[in-house]
Amino acid sequence: MTIHTEPLKSVSDIERTTLMTFLPGRIATMFGGRRWRSLAPLAVLVVLCLLIAIANPNFIELRNLVRLANSAAVPLTLAMGLTFIILMGSIDLSVEGTLSVSAMVVVLLAANDSNGNDYGWWAVLAAIVAGTAMGFVSGLVQTMLRIPSFMATLGMWFIGLGLSVYMLGGSAIRLNDASIRELALARFLGLPLAVWVATGAFLLAAVIQYHTKLGRHILAIGGDEDVAKLSGVNVVRVRVTAFALAGFFFGIAGVLAAAQLGQSHAVIGDGRLFAAVTAVVVGGTALTGGEGGVVNTLIGVLIVTVLANGMILLGISPYIQQTVQGLMIIAAVALSLDRVRLRIVK
Amino acid sequence: MNEAFSLRRIFEGKWTQGAIPLVLLVALLLIIEIAAPGFLTGETVALLFANTAVLFILATGVTFAILLGGIDLSIQAVASLASVILAQLLPSLGLAAFPVAILSGFAFGTLSGIVHVKLRVPSFVATLATGGVVTGIALWVSDGRAITIEEGGRENTAWINATVAGLPVVVLISAVIGIASFLALRYTRFGRQAIAVGAGEPAAWAAGINVDRTKIIAFAASGMLAAIAGVVLAARLSSGSPVLANQLLLPAIAAVIVGGTAITGGLGGVARTAVGALIISIVRIGMTFVGVNIFLENMVFGAVLIAAVAITIDRSKIAVIK
Repeated sequence: MTIHTEPLKSVSDIERTTLMTFLPGRIATMFGGRRWRSLAPLAVLVVLCLLIAIANPNFIELRNLVRLANSAAVPLTLAMGLTFIILMGSIDLSVEGTLSVSAMVVVLLAANDSNGNDYGWWAVLAAIVAGTAMGFVSGLVQTMLRIPSFMATLGMWFIGLGLSVYMLGGSAIRLNDASIRELALARFLGLPLAVWVATGAFLLAAVIQYHTKLGRHILAIGGDEDVAKLSGVNVVRVRVTAFALAGFFFGIAGVLAAAQLGQSHAVIGDGRLFAAVTAVVVGGTALTGGEGGVVNTLIGVLIVTVLANGMILLGISPYIQQTVQGLMIIAAVALSLDRVRLRIVK
Repeated sequence: MNEAFSLRRIFEGKWTQGAIPLVLLVALLLIIEIAAPGFLTGETVALLFANTAVLFILATGVTFAILLGGIDLSIQAVASLASVILAQLLPSLGLAAFPVAILSGFAFGTLSGIVHVKLRVPSFVATLATGGVVTGIALWVSDGRAITIEEGGRENTAWINATVAGLPVVVLISAVIGIASFLALRYTRFGRQAIAVGAGEPAAWAAGINVDRTKIIAFAASGMLAAIAGVVLAARLSSGSPVLANQLLLPAIAAVIVGGTAITGGLGGVARTAVGALIISIVRIGMTFVGVNIFLENMVFGAVLIAAVAITIDRSKIAVIK
């Protein structure tokens, strides 16, 4: 066997070296290879902050930094869940659907202006359970029906959206529970509670990724599913758990979004999916799976949020902002992806 | 035991896999006809085809990208930009506005391809980003508003809304595009190479196929077809807007997958996409016909989508389902 694998390996080595002559490879070696590249997102973030602060000193005012943290809370919580899915090499398009289901549950079960329910924090718990259940179903659909996660979660997106619009009767319902609203309004050490919740979500995700078997197995599946399976990883169980975990984070994000807006309506999730995917990818997690992690995603979320905030501060026309953001994504990904190892970019 | 085995063999046979989406299409038609008699009349069917046209043209474009193993998420933005350009230029340029709008799609499709291939950015991210760039340009050009195509311009779009021998012109346009794409994929060097790249990129590369060029052509085709879809949509709605096609991206991709094209690439084609687009369209229109609660429509659609993919997808050629 070893005799057969030896020549195979050397062939791939040759391929790798010929690749070094490609432009990105050359740039990469110029800057010192892999280690530099893994720091690229952080460098982008720092440069971005510096540029904006020079152009408009208001950027580093405490008030603006608090605003920045506050607007990063929901995207960060969402992106934490999404990171695990993307690490597996899958994709979760149900972000908006799950978020709107969770927001709908919390609003309808806590004090609101539509029905007589007033379950207080039980509503929050129920919302997070609902989010987790949505993710669990996504995982089951993907693994049991054996369809690509892209389509399984696309279906769950529509189901979640339809369910929440149906339950809300197509209108916006206000959240009147004062203690849940506190999540967005009350502050601890100068920061809104939502920011602390998001920080907690980040720490939890970091612990799961770096210190649990689940985290390791998710990375292993993303690296090479066949190898993971042969090494004794229960791929189906890990996949379903990962989707449920993502749903858990989306559920928390739904509660935060409902608390921030003080209501839930049909379009509460609009635009959040692509924002979350952008953050994960800009942070340097590869869509092919097996590379990156929640720390990358934290940086990615900050890049996207700082950029949006900075463009408002610099008075850039809102019409052009999307264009700038698009160019930023290309630049960040082109710089940071470890493409020398990837011969095939799909 | 023996019987089950042979049944399974039939199901895994090559021609049955290809026929499953078609069978599903017919079954859906029959279900709706039984639930709401009067669905299968010439008039409704013509309407169904006309309503599917835009979705089908978009889906045909994205079929090229998916066959390569990539994806094109910029089609909605490109289609919307084309509608804006058409609405802006019709008063001054007349019919010449059509080629300008379509060429814009070709240009941005090529740009997506170049970003994807030359900067080695995954197509998912590359097209997501170029989609953002294009949307920004469309917002800027239109000043963020919808532009109505006025009386004068409508003279030049009337031909799209006309009928020839009982068939709406949009159906004829999509038929021509569908047949041309079908022939291009099956009988041209580009088409065969695209399928080869999707089936196994290292092998295609080793066989001497210019992978980069094939990919750029495919994305250019996708952009151009998206622009044609945008132009047709603008003519039908007599308006151009930077968000005109925003609801069409995911249904278009769903149409491709439901038709049985593998999202991993290398397997499928335009004929499958035509069936897929009809399935998506029939489910949408059928729900209105059968009288599904309007708030529940999305839920039913999502469930049907999952069921349809579970039935139609050809798993025998996908090693790992991600």
